[in-house]
Amino acid sequence: MANEVTKTMPPSTRLRQTDVGEVTVDIRTPDLEINFGPQHPATHGVMRVLMRTDGELVTGAQPHLGYLHRCAEKIGENVEWLQYLPYTDRYDYLASMNNNLGYSLAVEALLGVEIPRRATLIRIICAELNRIGSHLVAFGTYGLDIGAFTPFLYCFREREWMMALFEKICGARLTYSYIRIGGVFNDAPPGWFEEVARFCDVFEQKWPEYVDLLLVNQIYVKRTANVGVISREMALDFGLTGTMVRGSGIDWDLRRDMPYMCYGEIWRDGAFKIPVAKGEMGALGDCWDRSWVRVMEMMESIKIVRWCLDHMVDGPVIGELPKTLKVPAGEAYVGIENPRGELGHYVVSDGGKVSVRTRVRGPSFCNLAVLEDILPGALVGDAIAIIGSTDIVVGETDR
Amino acid sequence: MDFQGILDRLVAIRAPGLVKADEPRKPDPKDKKDKGRAGDPFVIVEPALLASFVEACRDDDRLHFEQLVDLTATDPSKDSADLWINVQLLSLKFRHRLAIKALLPKSAAKLPSLVPVYRASQWHERECAEMFGIVFEGHPDPRNILLPDDWVGSPLRKDYEFPKEYHGISCE
Amino acid sequence: MTPALALAQQSAAVEVGSGSNAFLEGLVAALGAYLPMWALWLGAAVTGVAIVMGLISLIAMFSVWLERKVAGHIQCRYGPMYVGWHGWLQSIADGVKLLLKEDMIPRDADRVLFMLAPALVLAAIVAAMAAYPLAPGVFFADIDLGVFFVIAMSSMTTIGVVMAGWASNSKWTVFGAMREAAQVVAYEIPLGVALLVPVMVAGTLNMREASEMQSGWYGMGWFMFKNPFMLPAFVLYFIAALAETKRAPFDLPEAESELVAGFMTEYSGIRWSFFFMEEYAAMFLMSALAAVFFLGGFESPLTWAAGEFFGRELFVKGASGATELNLQAIPYHAVAGLTLLVKSFAGIFLMMWLRWTLPRVRVDQVMTMGYKYLTPLALVCAIGAALWEAGKQALLG
Repeated sequence: MANEVTKTMPPSTRLRQTDVGEVTVDIRTPDLEINFGPQHPATHGVMRVLMRTDGELVTGAQPHLGYLHRCAEKIGENVEWLQYLPYTDRYDYLASMNNNLGYSLAVEALLGVEIPRRATLIRIICAELNRIGSHLVAFGTYGLDIGAFTPFLYCFREREWMMALFEKICGARLTYSYIRIGGVFNDAPPGWFEEVARFCDVFEQKWPEYVDLLLVNQIYVKRTANVGVISREMALDFGLTGTMVRGSGIDWDLRRDMPYMCYGEIWRDGAFKIPVAKGEMGALGDCWDRSWVRVMEMMESIKIVRWCLDHMVDGPVIGELPKTLKVPAGEAYVGIENPRGELGHYVVSDGGKVSVRTRVRGPSFCNLAVLEDILPGALVGDAIAIIGSTDIVVGETDR
Repeated sequence: MDFQGILDRLVAIRAPGLVKADEPRKPDPKDKKDKGRAGDPFVIVEPALLASFVEACRDDDRLHFEQLVDLTATDPSKDSADLWINVQLLSLKFRHRLAIKALLPKSAAKLPSLVPVYRASQWHERECAEMFGIVFEGHPDPRNILLPDDWVGSPLRKDYEFPKEYHGISCE
Repeated sequence: MTPALALAQQSAAVEVGSGSNAFLEGLVAALGAYLPMWALWLGAAVTGVAIVMGLISLIAMFSVWLERKVAGHIQCRYGPMYVGWHGWLQSIADGVKLLLKEDMIPRDADRVLFMLAPALVLAAIVAAMAAYPLAPGVFFADIDLGVFFVIAMSSMTTIGVVMAGWASNSKWTVFGAMREAAQVVAYEIPLGVALLVPVMVAGTLNMREASEMQSGWYGMGWFMFKNPFMLPAFVLYFIAALAETKRAPFDLPEAESELVAGFMTEYSGIRWSFFFMEEYAAMFLMSALAAVFFLGGFESPLTWAAGEFFGRELFVKGASGATELNLQAIPYHAVAGLTLLVKSFAGIFLMMWLRWTLPRVRVDQVMTMGYKYLTPLALVCAIGAALWEAGKQALLG
């Protein structure tokens, strides 16, 4: 591990892993402390990293969070169960459907209600479409971080359609509050499923564009391979989840390994695979592997959506629930596979109308903790690539 | 492994600090006040031995909890004498989870840090410390993480009073 | 020739191919009786500078519009559409906006250097632009060391950039300035060596003369086809020119996702637009150099036909012995000038195309590429071309 070398070596003979082998950096300049963010184009929001650099070489990094802290957990203790749902939209605003789903599942775990089959399938369609949208943003903006502007707009072209689909089903384009406790808000409008199927067809045609234009682009590979390597052990120790952990070569996906809703059924049908990085372009667990996992996952999501469309049933979309929800006393933790990793909701109820504790385990928050360890030894340009590859949404790290 | 299996194994390896298990149950039909308990089963652990407990969970071959998924705290009510420390462990190998709860007296909200066992808990502990006023002994970097460095009080405690102003800015 | 005339020839004024300054001569003929010589000289110089400045502004404006349209169409959108037909007036609107913007200087900046830097950058590029031949018979300065002069002057802009980065008193701008200095030093060498190849074939550094030498084969006698080492030299030159003009994928000094805007982070308003103008003028000049030394300069079958039809001499000795303007040859010169313009903008288009397609390389990769690959390859090209030329002379006499 390059980082370990960097840390233990005396500063004057620091080593750096490059494409051409190890280079000894023995020219020292006085350390420079630079403030990366909170207002910086590559922080994906308002995050701040205090970096100590020796010329272009980063020798130390300290993330500072909290610029977007909106007291989501405190609000959870002050509003009713149903009223909290719109707040879930706002932590990972690129995957609001998944956030809604995570919270709903957590509350349903306490309620013990049966979810209608149609609602479950619509939920999965929405969650997977949102995962595609989220990965499109992640991959597009990652290209932007690396310096390629155009793939970003290609990604947004497809995401636009995805958002239009959501607009048709729930009226909102970003903060949906569509997946409710007990089901979904309303049934899909006529023709919606057909349009989703068309979207899947078109997306499958467009998807190779991203791969050709960016993912296998030689400059992109040179920029991301062997950069920001997260080893298997590190990924486990830091509690990384989702694309980060699969990018480090660990075969783990909650949708398959701890299935919720009917993902287990879809998996048994062999409808989708879990892409796991193999370190094709460089060391296992580098930035390229993580972006590869995201690109590949989009296609798997398309397959899941197709499966749900094929198995769609008629029926109600929301269970019978009282207007003022009283949740039985108890506590439950439900983790679901968000685009960024495991989104955990830990809810505690004392049997009342308001929760005692609503804990949100945001995947971005946990994935970001690894920065302090993998940034030292990188160049300033690499640092941007590494931060981008963790795919954080600051709304979620700060909640 | 299901919860019962994990519990048996924990007892078998004499996991340090294990107090008891708490499983969801149906309301008792005879006792009208008893509402039962919904949700997940969990184990209750001595807070002082929490670090050694999770270490035992991590190192045991058949439990194999490689990941600490979440560490948080809960203030159940204003009157409660205890805070809860809630830990979620996950085994990727055996595909099971374990929820751990430690009851920490509010009067002495101190416990050893879990960072030597799982580095994942580093930021979670910082968040817990600032939100609940819990001291994690031996934490390598005990600064505030989401709140400003000069924030007064522990916002997620039930007896927290909202400040009237912050640096001269009125919050009314 | 008087010393004043010689000086004017070096600075700027429309000039006749033979080496006399037609514009100044015309001024002398018209106003010589009323004004002293130094005033006429000054007038000619100021006019020349004004013309170059105007040309640079026009090129920059058109390039900015072109860039936005190219970027738009590459990215499945239209680009500017509202100001004028397909937004062709957008650049003017932007220019007015930039002029009206507040001119901010950070409190802790080095005020003098901060204000001087954009001026220096623009001055260097204006000077470099003086060597650009408008048409075979119309140019500002017929400099025998043309290529040398252009490269020297366009590297002067680096000093302005470093100055701007340092004077802004911000860490990010210093990063940008350091990168610019390192990058330009690294790429100056392959750029110069790659240009050496056509220069060797041409045997001249003068841009106008080099262009004239490619008029054979019905206007297709481009240097590109005269030596097998010319194509690799052209590719090397183009890559080095991208780095020299700070264009993607070598836009590290202003890498917006890394350094916010690099050395220009603290600039705003008209000062910022000076840097912008410099960038586009430098792109234009680099493309023009490529056009002149690799792609035939003024020459194309169309130019050749126009030359055959209309005649090539813009100035002829009249019956009385005085130099006279040959109005008949004007279409030929217009076609020739346009040909070079089109070729230059084709180069700019290629640069834009690359910018909107490729990601940015990392700083150490830029250096590796410059020193380890481009420089040796350029040297190989130069040596190979030299041997080829020597062999050709030995064999064919």
